Amino acid sequence: MSVGYVSVQWNRHKRIYDACVAGGIVLYLGVFFAAGKALYTGRNAISGEILAMRALATCAFLMLNVILCIGPLARLDRRFLPLLYNRRHLGVATFLVALAHAAIAIGFYHGFGNVNPFVALLTSNTNFTSLSAFPYQTLGLFALLILFLMAATSHDFWLKNLGAPAWKRLHMLVYIAYGLLVMHVALGILQTQRSPWLASLVGVGVVIVATLHLIAGQRERRHDERGSQLSPRAGEEWVDVGAVDDIADQRGSTVTVGAGERIALFRYNGCVSATTNVCAHQGGPLGEGKIIDGCITCPWHGWQYRPADGRSPPPFAEKIHTYRVRVVGRRIQVDPTPLPPGTAVEPARVEEVQSA
Amino acid sequence: MPETNEFYVGYLKSPRTLTVFLGWAIPSLIVAALAIGWLVSRSQNDPGDGVWHHEANTLVGRVGATPYPLIRVPSKSPGHAAETVLLVSEGKHGGGERVAALDGRIVRVRGTILERDSCRLLELAHGDAVKPDDSLTAADTGRLAAPIIVALGEVTLRGEIIDPKCYSGAMKPGEGKTHKECATLCISGGIPPMFVTIDAAGRRSYYLLTDPDGRALTGGALHDGLLPFVADVVEIRGTLERRDDLQVLRVDLKSIRRL
Repeated sequence: MSVGYVSVQWNRHKRIYDACVAGGIVLYLGVFFAAGKALYTGRNAISGEILAMRALATCAFLMLNVILCIGPLARLDRRFLPLLYNRRHLGVATFLVALAHAAIAIGFYHGFGNVNPFVALLTSNTNFTSLSAFPYQTLGLFALLILFLMAATSHDFWLKNLGAPAWKRLHMLVYIAYGLLVMHVALGILQTQRSPWLASLVGVGVVIVATLHLIAGQRERRHDERGSQLSPRAGEEWVDVGAVDDIADQRGSTVTVGAGERIALFRYNGCVSATTNVCAHQGGPLGEGKIIDGCITCPWHGWQYRPADGRSPPPFAEKIHTYRVRVVGRRIQVDPTPLPPGTAVEPARVEEVQSA
Repeated sequence: MPETNEFYVGYLKSPRTLTVFLGWAIPSLIVAALAIGWLVSRSQNDPGDGVWHHEANTLVGRVGATPYPLIRVPSKSPGHAAETVLLVSEGKHGGGERVAALDGRIVRVRGTILERDSCRLLELAHGDAVKPDDSLTAADTGRLAAPIIVALGEVTLRGEIIDPKCYSGAMKPGEGKTHKECATLCISGGIPPMFVTIDAAGRRSYYLLTDPDGRALTGGALHDGLLPFVADVVEIRGTLERRDDLQVLRVDLKSIRRL
């Protein structure tokens, strides 16, 4: 949430996060390089440039695997949400590590010749019809371009100006980049590697990423399927979406009505309000958020909205869709037609049950 | 966390249980990454025992510009009259232009040696690295008069087309798929193409590749017939001959087949 743009809105968490990322990268590169130097010596020493290139490549690929696991992990276990909070910095760091790998590879393998290294990169191998001889560098180049595009547009400035849906679609290209990089590895280094370890680790990484996405996706799908059974009765505009008592005080829950978008319900201070489940920032699940200081607080990055009108508290100006809501008995009913973002809706009053 | 009322917001103080969780989860993740880095690094292929002697060296012998730049020096081993050292320039460039004017003369060449098994190259130093020389004895000069050529007949071989400069130590490793583009650039830049085979006992044999007439592979024959197969595992057919200590394969380009 910002009324103006700064390069990075630092806070303690981001500093710790970035220190862990930077420290992890330095340690990884150091261990890889030192092991290579210590284990391959004398006439059988591996070139320093090639060791550095491989250390950077494996580091970037490992980081990308971790990045792709964070999303579904955070969906399945909220203790991983802190990893999601500053994931963009991890993404930018991954791009920089991959860029360093590419710079050494292009300079070392494609430089020093009679052709411009970038021309050589695209023309020295044109065996596009052979799997074993395929120019796998091209795949890495396209993946790097995608990572660059994502790193360059990672700032909230681009998120705001492109709009959350377009920005989100752009950043979904990470899956194409991942696929390209898996092929880059499979058609490159794995074609020559005699030890099975690297191939096994790449395979395990792909399986973990795919499995986590499938499990998280299946959970979301089951939730939506349950929701699809909720729809207004003929001639009625209200839909029963659950019991008040199913929602803890100061917390939210999520329902899906028909084929519509997910609706977030919040119970707070003897009231119930309904808004879209989609945060205006990065599409975070607001229904999994909490009411803090009277505002709906997104679990991903802490963006806030007032539950009664879906507007961020001043001086912020973000707005989200709201929904008409009422409570009948202890049941919550919602009109599933979204109101324009920022529309004020009278919260439904809840008669709190007094304990004896 | 779902069972408690704790809630994480990045710009607020973290709940204690979450801090405890992250306190072991993040270090564990980093330790796992380091273990992976160590494992992957130690499982790299042995890059071979090619070596680039970076100290300056001089050789005196008869220089040849065909089929590729080379110098024949008096042999120290009893089996051959002369030993052959291929001449290349810095980077991914052959030594062609630098020896053409002195083709057939006794010269002194200055540079650095790369070698792996029986394959030897000299990277010519900057400047005037090839000069006429008269320090050889008449006997040695006579031994270098003409190469001793022995025809060995038609052969079919399985192995890899390499650029011998990288393979012999300029890059470690300088072979295989990841080195394909580099080897292609080296060969197209004038470094002689060679073929390497490895027998069941792991012994490597090296073959200098020429066209069917024994000339350097250039132009379309090189770019269309040979370069697409560089660094791949291929089968190759041709006429083999031995020139002094060097095996030369007059290759039938149409026979090259990726395995």
